[in-house]
Amino acid sequence: MVEPPQLQTVAWALTTALELVLFLQFVRRKIGRIYPLFFAYLASVLLQSVAVAGLYRTQNLDKMAVWKIAWLTQGFVVFLRALALVELNRRVLARYIGIWGLARRIFLGVAAAVIAYDLFLSKGQWQWLILNGIRGLELAMAAVIVTMLIFARYYRVPVNQLQRALAIGLCLYSIFYVVNYSLLEKILREYPFVWNFLGLFAFIASLLVWIGAANRYTAAEEVEMPQTIPAEVYGMISSEVNARLILLNRQLMQFLHLENRGQ
Amino acid sequence: MNLPLIFLVLFAILLVGLLAWALRPPAQQIRPALDVFEALRQSRHASRMSQIFQALQPQDTEFLGRAGQASLMQTIRRERRTIALNYLRQLQEEFAMLLEISRVLAVMSPEVIAMEEMERWKLSLAFAANCAFLRWKLRLGIQPFSGFTLLSNMATSFARRLEAATTRIAEATVQSAQSSGHPNENPGSF
Repeated sequence: MVEPPQLQTVAWALTTALELVLFLQFVRRKIGRIYPLFFAYLASVLLQSVAVAGLYRTQNLDKMAVWKIAWLTQGFVVFLRALALVELNRRVLARYIGIWGLARRIFLGVAAAVIAYDLFLSKGQWQWLILNGIRGLELAMAAVIVTMLIFARYYRVPVNQLQRALAIGLCLYSIFYVVNYSLLEKILREYPFVWNFLGLFAFIASLLVWIGAANRYTAAEEVEMPQTIPAEVYGMISSEVNARLILLNRQLMQFLHLENRGQ
Repeated sequence: MNLPLIFLVLFAILLVGLLAWALRPPAQQIRPALDVFEALRQSRHASRMSQIFQALQPQDTEFLGRAGQASLMQTIRRERRTIALNYLRQLQEEFAMLLEISRVLAVMSPEVIAMEEMERWKLSLAFAANCAFLRWKLRLGIQPFSGFTLLSNMATSFARRLEAATTRIAEATVQSAQSSGHPNENPGSF
């Protein structure tokens, strides 16, 4: 958040323009009604871009104060992104009550483990605690998105094009933030312009993915509620299926062991 | 850069790989209108394991070698190994079918038992590894082994157990459908 060179200003302007295009697409196609938290995140990003650009151009303000305000708005944007992620997970999995119940617990476990590990790296130094905390949150968001997609793939839960695009955009941006903060920032410490630009570039890529999906979005993509069965029926068949799987596996094991014994 | 930080970056990179994998469409498409009870009642390949083991026994073909028909013996053994490989493929399909049933059920259930899901996940990994190992052993040539009776008995007893279980489940489904006031003409068809 320093005085950006010309190329970075262009990238900044491009980012704001793309944010505006996506915002308008969400309004025009009424996607904002289906994903209100993502829409709020988008609005906050747009406002942040305009506000921070305005602040940097105000001559009489203390640079440190501007820097603090900029990071404060960034914290708010990250918080809204986390909410948008929860909303996306709910949209994909919540209609499958059992799966959602299991997924929620796993998501919380994954997120807590990732954030705890990242905070462990701070070694009790509060200034690192906050910055590492943000990185931990970003990494946790990426891990939760990937877990959600793996869940959806395993259980063959349909994920429509827009949901995929939102997941890809959020995940790639978060991963890039982590790599940028952990690696590139240290390697390219002498060239803050480069890693700032790379950060913007990652966000532009996410915006393009989202715009593409929003353009193709149709209301028909939303799937209906599935049929349900009583939990006790699931419990009974589930344990029988497991018993049968165990037997099949045990037979193979026996096959292998007997063969080894015979050799 | 310290080691924990390297792990963190590696984890982030691993997430990119997992993201790409998770976005790929699954190799097997979901079976439309999978009938769980019908699928559970289908004949089990595991129950024919004893015949397959028997066919793979070298004693079954040794007499050809003693009679001077070594090439015929080799041909028969090769063909029987091919049959065993096909049988292994069928076992894998049976396993995949059971996993498919469990997925269909989990998607429709209001409550999913985490431990059972985890158990299935571990089993599927172990089964895939065992199958791959066994397939290679079969391709390289099976050695003499014994104890087929035990396996055959296991399969038979399990077949009986499963038969009883599916009947119990079908009864429970009909009962729950009746008690909820939504009689289902075909309770097994989800």
